[in-house]
Amino acid sequence: MSDLMSVITSTFSMSVPLILAALGGVLSVKSGVMALGLESMMTMGAFCGVLGSFYSGNAVIGILAGMAGGGLFGLGHAVLSVRYKVNQVISGIGLNLLAVAATTLLMQIIWDNKGSSPQVASIDGNVFTSPITYIMLAVMFFEYFLLFKTRFGLRLRMVGENPKAASTVGLAVHKIKYIGVTASGVLAGLGGAYLSLDHLNMYVRDMSAGRGYIAVAIMILAKYNPFQVLLCALIFGFSDALQISFQGRGVPPQIMAMLPYAVTLLVLAFGARHITPPAGVGCHDDD
Amino acid sequence: MSEKKAKLTAKIIIEKYMSVVALILALILGGIIIFVCGYNPFEAYASIFEGAFIGKTAICQTLIQATPLIFAGLAYVVAKRVNLINLGIEGQLYMGALGASLVALMPVSLPTPVLIVSALISAMLFGGLYAGLVGAMKVKFGSNEVIATMMLNTIAQNFISYMVNYPLKEEGKTLAQTRLFDETAWLPKLVNGTQLTIGILAAAAVCIGVKLIFDRTRLGYESRCVGLSIPASETAGIKIGKVMIIAMLISGAISGLLGGTHVLGSDHRLIADFSSGYGFDGIAVAALAGDSPIAVILSGIIFGALRAGCMVLNRTTGIPTEFIDVIQACIILLVAAPLLVKDILRIGKRRGGRKA
Amino acid sequence: MYAVEMKNITKQYPLVLALDHVDFALKKGEIHSLLGENGAGKSTLMKVLYGICRPDEGTIIVNGKQVDLKKPKQAIDLGIGMVHQHFMLTPVMSVTENIVVGCEPVRGVIFDKASAQRQVQEMIDRYGFQIQADQKVKELSVGEQQKVEILKAIYRNAKILILDEPTAVLTPQEVEELFRILRELKKAGTSITIITHKLKETLEVADTVSVLRDGRMIQSDISTKGVTTEELAQMMVGREVELGICRKTQSVGKVRLNVKEITLREKEKTVLDKISFQLKEGEILGIAGIEGNGQTELIECLTGIRKADVSLIEKDGEKLEGAPGDFISRKVGHIPEDRMTRGLVLELSVRDNLILGYQKLFQKNGVMNRRRIREFTENLLKEYGIKAPNISVKCSSLSGGNQQKIVIARVFSEDPDVLIVAQPTRGVDIGAIEYIHERLLKLRDEGKAILLISADLDEVKNLSDRLMVMYDGRIVAEGLPEQFDDMHLGLLMTGAAGREGLQYE
Repeated sequence: MSDLMSVITSTFSMSVPLILAALGGVLSVKSGVMALGLESMMTMGAFCGVLGSFYSGNAVIGILAGMAGGGLFGLGHAVLSVRYKVNQVISGIGLNLLAVAATTLLMQIIWDNKGSSPQVASIDGNVFTSPITYIMLAVMFFEYFLLFKTRFGLRLRMVGENPKAASTVGLAVHKIKYIGVTASGVLAGLGGAYLSLDHLNMYVRDMSAGRGYIAVAIMILAKYNPFQVLLCALIFGFSDALQISFQGRGVPPQIMAMLPYAVTLLVLAFGARHITPPAGVGCHDDD
Repeated sequence: MSEKKAKLTAKIIIEKYMSVVALILALILGGIIIFVCGYNPFEAYASIFEGAFIGKTAICQTLIQATPLIFAGLAYVVAKRVNLINLGIEGQLYMGALGASLVALMPVSLPTPVLIVSALISAMLFGGLYAGLVGAMKVKFGSNEVIATMMLNTIAQNFISYMVNYPLKEEGKTLAQTRLFDETAWLPKLVNGTQLTIGILAAAAVCIGVKLIFDRTRLGYESRCVGLSIPASETAGIKIGKVMIIAMLISGAISGLLGGTHVLGSDHRLIADFSSGYGFDGIAVAALAGDSPIAVILSGIIFGALRAGCMVLNRTTGIPTEFIDVIQACIILLVAAPLLVKDILRIGKRRGGRKA
Repeated sequence: MYAVEMKNITKQYPLVLALDHVDFALKKGEIHSLLGENGAGKSTLMKVLYGICRPDEGTIIVNGKQVDLKKPKQAIDLGIGMVHQHFMLTPVMSVTENIVVGCEPVRGVIFDKASAQRQVQEMIDRYGFQIQADQKVKELSVGEQQKVEILKAIYRNAKILILDEPTAVLTPQEVEELFRILRELKKAGTSITIITHKLKETLEVADTVSVLRDGRMIQSDISTKGVTTEELAQMMVGREVELGICRKTQSVGKVRLNVKEITLREKEKTVLDKISFQLKEGEILGIAGIEGNGQTELIECLTGIRKADVSLIEKDGEKLEGAPGDFISRKVGHIPEDRMTRGLVLELSVRDNLILGYQKLFQKNGVMNRRRIREFTENLLKEYGIKAPNISVKCSSLSGGNQQKIVIARVFSEDPDVLIVAQPTRGVDIGAIEYIHERLLKLRDEGKAILLISADLDEVKNLSDRLMVMYDGRIVAEGLPEQFDDMHLGLLMTGAAGREGLQYE
């Protein structure tokens, strides 16, 4: 029984950062910018979160710092891919590498330690009591409302579908994309801060460990719909949780770890046809 | 008019050597980072240069570091030729390492050349098929290759980890690794007394081979067409799926060679998680090389030199080696953003102009 | 009183001087036709007025006030609306969303969908369009999409309306309808500029004409009363042109291509419905029709790009099937309807494009014969008068006419028996049009069997020896070109006349 409970708890706690990042990714893609930089934004969120908490001694300030860090990289991704027309895949991957390298470098400079930061003030309690969980749920509803009910959402979707058309009706295409992608960074940053300040109470080298990429996969499997993001992320969280609870019971952990990736691969193989991203992803308004 | 022409030529030259300009900017950025860390950037670069090029050991170390980078860069370039982004080099090189190890661990004794050639062929097969799977998924189901390769990377890494933890684990030991290969399966040394093997020659040879395929063959022509325009290629009777899958097979085989030469030439055994992210380094190498196979050799050596020099630098001054990764990321971003580089140059010019 | 005055407008692109000190004035409440060939600078001039591109020199005065237009938003605020040649619509969104985006009715921050839909439907009803406000744009025909574009401008209270090649994709009936709308708008006080290269239409709808050539204003402010199409054509091209060549076939030989019952279904919809015809040597068989009635799919089936559900194609009595490569080696040549996407790899050199599709012939065991390729392509360049500095420049740097000549040169030079030719002169200057038409007629006289698919009615009617009309995936009429008058063709093309073409005996 307690086994079951712990699986459920860890399913949810593994899912929260994934959901946050994937929700961010949806905003980015809906505005027409591929979200491969999520990994860097989560890394920055986790690191800046600890940094903020380290200097202020306050976990809330830490979380805000994490969001700011993620948002900064989001803005960077936006500037590179919108203003400087960098291939969005390359921009995302480049930022991911930059984030891991820069955080590791900074760890050595600040804490003189390659592997992990000191322990800092963090958020207590489990996933069901964590405020971030509830913020995440609120974000999910709000994002749906924003995208499909508000004027800004209509404009954002129009920009993502056809930036040229959007620019000829006078929409501020660049500004809207900047907002969408930066917001994706803020959300991914919050997801990262959850890893370092809620899940743990310190930053560990390469803390995001590919979660940003999984968030991209989740977002695609969820057909860019905020509510479906929740469902798809729970599948990943669940298999993560199983992996933990199966540890030391004869099943090689590596095999368990492979499972969610294999499942994603299969869905990609057989379901990809039915998932269409906005038509304007990767397009520019002025060429 | 002639002034206009001169300006235009200058523009074309800058355009052509954009990646070099980007490289220099990234190095300047690296210098600033070193400075901010509290070290003297000029001393640091001098020390890096010395550690990379002065003396036999230094040059060998540069080439040792360059070998996997050249393979990785070339693997990326080959897939890019058909406009596929192979982010799965990491997974393919793990599979290649496994392929080579399985041959090297065979309980039969073969002469060194036969053993090594068959181990490398096995590496190419493993890596190639693993990448070919992505190509086939792309062609058959329209799966996004970026996501698919990401998933396959994690799967491969876990699979290798499983192999060296369970079936292939060295008996009686706790470390997650296979036994040491017999010396007959070690790649021959190129320079005695160093770790430099014939791997670097293999890397250069493969680059030249790919260059010849690109320039002289029908496959090279058709792959270029596919990479630039799928509808036009389709209309021209080119079998797009076939060309894409072949390109992925070649790209994966090259990644497999990376893994194979690594286990046979440097570790001499298969170890879990041995790659330090070579797959992503390949993107930087390819970006700097401007997707040209011959330039990959040069670009690989530049990055190899930075690494080799930085190792020395770390030993002598304690500057963290991670700063090289920061420079590498900056190179990727700057090379991919010629418009940004132009903006930076313009700002620089305006500043310079004001001073004068 | 002028709605718009543009003075001394100059725009230099990296390689061409698009506008060379051009003056243009649009009077209030007139319909002004801006006439010129492809590449004359008409679109650029209007893009300057709409704030899409900035001129290097010159002043713009709108309603008596000098303005500096940096982006479309400013133009919109000044009451300028533009209907682009390539529609600026988002297919997956609704008519209403497409029209109102940018100045949406809101309640707070919430998009007031109901009120938007009501307003749009009112507008639709006012102009008597057969569109629903909540329809998705992708469900609309091309003509209807254009109406959405016009409504977009009207919704923004445009008092100055620019239409870029508005009739290019319309049937004669739809053109009539468009002109009716334009006249109505004019009556309501809107000043209208239409960009076109069609002379007849200019005279029919416009009050005033201005002619551009090679980026220069040749003559502006000509009244359409008292000017002839011949005079306008001469101003446009700079020399006398022969309007409409008509040389019919001498001898029709045996059947080269026999097409039986091509049927194609897609997404529960019949795209091609039992299309059968025979193509004989020494003839040009034209297919007229509005785009999107199955022509693209038919071409793709006839060239191996797409596999039909039911189809039997025989060439010289033998079954023809397989991939595009097989069709090419069976000597079925293909001039694709869109040279930019299907015809050329724009980023490749002229040399590489001149062997595209025939690369098999220039290799041995997979190795390309580079010397032969060079000799062959240099010869083609001369023979077809393709204006390119050398064979190594990218195709993207050439003009539309020269690009099209490359496509034509490589297909013609391989001596195909059957030619599938689609939109051969789209976006091409008059000189190249004449050249391409000459070449096609010459090939026909040499005994080739040519299928010509074109949205340009004059072109199919002039060149074809036989004519078929395609509507909704079916051949609805067949006959000699002179048996069809434009209005009747229009009815056939819209399905209004039904399956009755064979009445012409």
